[in-house]
Amino acid sequence: MSLKYTIAPFSAWLQAVSKPFTVPVTGGPRPGAPRYRGWHINDVEKCIGCGTCSAICQNEAIDMVPVDDPVVGDSGLRPKIDYGRCCWCALCVDVCPSGSLGMSNEYVWADTDADVFRYIPGVDEKPWDDSELGWRREEGFELVDHDRVPMGMLDPDERTQTWAEVVIGYTEEQARVEASRCVDCGLCVAACPAHMHIPDYIGAIRDGDDARAVQIIYDNNAMPEMCGKVCTRRCESVCSIGVQGDPLAIRWLKRYATERFDNLAEVLQPQVERVGEGRTVAVIGGGPSGLTVAYYLAIRGFEVTVHEALPQVGGATFFGIPRYRFPMSSLEKQVDLLKSAGVKFVLNHRVDGDELTRMLAENDAVFMGVGLMKPMALRAPGEDLPGVIPALDMLREQNLGHEVDVGEKVVVVGGGNVAIDASRISRRLGAEVTIAYRRRVVDMPADDEEIEDAEAEGVEIVTQAIPLRVEATEDGKLDFVWGPAEMVQEEEGKRPRPKLIEGVENHLVVDRVIVAIGQGPDLDWLPTEISEKICNKWGYIEVDETGMTAVEGLYAGGDLVNDTADAISAIADGLRAVNGIVDKTRAQHV
Amino acid sequence: MKSFEEILDFAIDNEQKAHDLYMDIAEMATRPGMRQTFLEFAAQEMQHRERLEAIKAGKLPELDQARVETLGLSEHLVDVPVEKDMDYQSALLFAMKAEQRAYDLYAGLAKATDDPNLVTLFEGLAQEELKHKLHFEREYDDVVLGDN
Repeated sequence: MSLKYTIAPFSAWLQAVSKPFTVPVTGGPRPGAPRYRGWHINDVEKCIGCGTCSAICQNEAIDMVPVDDPVVGDSGLRPKIDYGRCCWCALCVDVCPSGSLGMSNEYVWADTDADVFRYIPGVDEKPWDDSELGWRREEGFELVDHDRVPMGMLDPDERTQTWAEVVIGYTEEQARVEASRCVDCGLCVAACPAHMHIPDYIGAIRDGDDARAVQIIYDNNAMPEMCGKVCTRRCESVCSIGVQGDPLAIRWLKRYATERFDNLAEVLQPQVERVGEGRTVAVIGGGPSGLTVAYYLAIRGFEVTVHEALPQVGGATFFGIPRYRFPMSSLEKQVDLLKSAGVKFVLNHRVDGDELTRMLAENDAVFMGVGLMKPMALRAPGEDLPGVIPALDMLREQNLGHEVDVGEKVVVVGGGNVAIDASRISRRLGAEVTIAYRRRVVDMPADDEEIEDAEAEGVEIVTQAIPLRVEATEDGKLDFVWGPAEMVQEEEGKRPRPKLIEGVENHLVVDRVIVAIGQGPDLDWLPTEISEKICNKWGYIEVDETGMTAVEGLYAGGDLVNDTADAISAIADGLRAVNGIVDKTRAQHV
Repeated sequence: MKSFEEILDFAIDNEQKAHDLYMDIAEMATRPGMRQTFLEFAAQEMQHRERLEAIKAGKLPELDQARVETLGLSEHLVDVPVEKDMDYQSALLFAMKAEQRAYDLYAGLAKATDDPNLVTLFEGLAQEELKHKLHFEREYDDVVLGDN
């Protein structure tokens, strides 16, 4: 060994007193660059817990953990980040549909406990929570496509000349593109009353497997083509893409998938336990809830008979919804599937109290879903004059194919979907139409798109208009007299109420006053010993968690039971009763 | 003009009569759920009676004189007769009109007297009736006029 190497360890000590080559750090670590990708921050109020950050993370560094109770539109989960895995790529920030996730420009954090480097930004307090600097998604840069594939529709002028469907429907290419916008967060599943497997069937559409999509759709919806056309789409209202862009067109994609197949029985081969062999079930009312019960029990081996007062099943989707929104061919296709599953139909037959009692004795279960068939009355002077008609009667006559004459000028009283349907039908019948509504457009229960379509078709909406009376004019018309209302905010958080401004009267001379202010139950036919057990003070029916009423074996659902009065809620009620009846049957087998 | 106590007795008697009427209607109601509705209305009238009795006994503060703003819902609607097949809409309308009539009665009595104590009492009773009317108006606005 040379002398050089022998003394080297000792000469190295000289470096301790020599001038350093590095620059000494003073005042702590240098701040990160303004757009540095440092520790995460999350605006938990803005975050909806969709989990898209977790899904995109290539290192599986993000877990979604519960921090609050889930509510519709918010899973209650928030991202927890493991910095042992995080590579600071910021894909999670760039994809975040709500825009809640960001990164601070803080990067120095030392601790002897490794577990602290897994935390929930925004929940576990950190010094950088309010950091203005750091990585944020750039304006205009989107990993998710915010723009919905537009739906083709008939021109408004053309619509009023025809009963053809207004919505044209997606092409295959359009459907694939629209489906590819889904981030698979599943918030829609919780919002859908029937909890349809939405991301799964949208994924199948995206992957080009439409048959699979229909099979998934039929997991828990026996009237999907109807829902694909007229659903109230609570799912879309919570779509995570909708926070910053257009929500996914879930309704139109369901419509696309179901319209792809003329014979649904060829596509669907349900693999379910035939637990109901040898059992019989009677369904009273062929609306969405009744048909749901009929289909899902029939494929499980139950012998099901649907009793319907009208010449066609479908309930409000048959007699209430106009054909330009939901054509007869779509309804018949769905009913054909039920027939192929073995469901029997007794049409033009109104069940009475004695028959209900008999049905309860002769069947293993009876399901009642007869809807809200009693129109609320105007209760204004002149409501009994000829020409003042309930909208429900007018819609039913029109859909039964009977001649409906509304004259040249019509006022429709109300702001729900029934009012909009009555007004758009009246336009197609050639009338000039005004809607008189007590509140503001923003308060209307009708679907926003329907309101827009009605206005595009020439329907005039007069808001804050309180009906005062109807008078007959000398030339055989009706003078609809209304007063203006002021909106009174009585209780914070509730919709304001209209209050008449006294002393002002407005006149609208028309041929018809069509009343569409609401509907209620019509259960006078029930035997008193049954109605006293199952009806509440509003005349609606109450059921338990299995869908059964206080009468053993009598189940109920639909508008008579829920307070949302839409088809998908009726379907959900039907599914609840199916589960109740199947579970009970299984228990009897044991 | 009668004494303070006599007027309260009169008001108590009115509430009792309203209670009895609702009990009678409940007894004859044929529509599903309506018996329960009228029994609830009757129970509310009984609560009103008990409140007045408590005031008479000096157990409750005096009646609130604050003016109640109603929605003016029933004034332009038709009268409904008492029938055995009354529905919920008719029941609410009937109740609103009954409360309005009670208000008119007390408001008229307040105008007919010069005694400031009695004026205060009558006006307080009148506002009580308006509160009851407002309760039914809100229910009518929510349940019957949900689509309007």
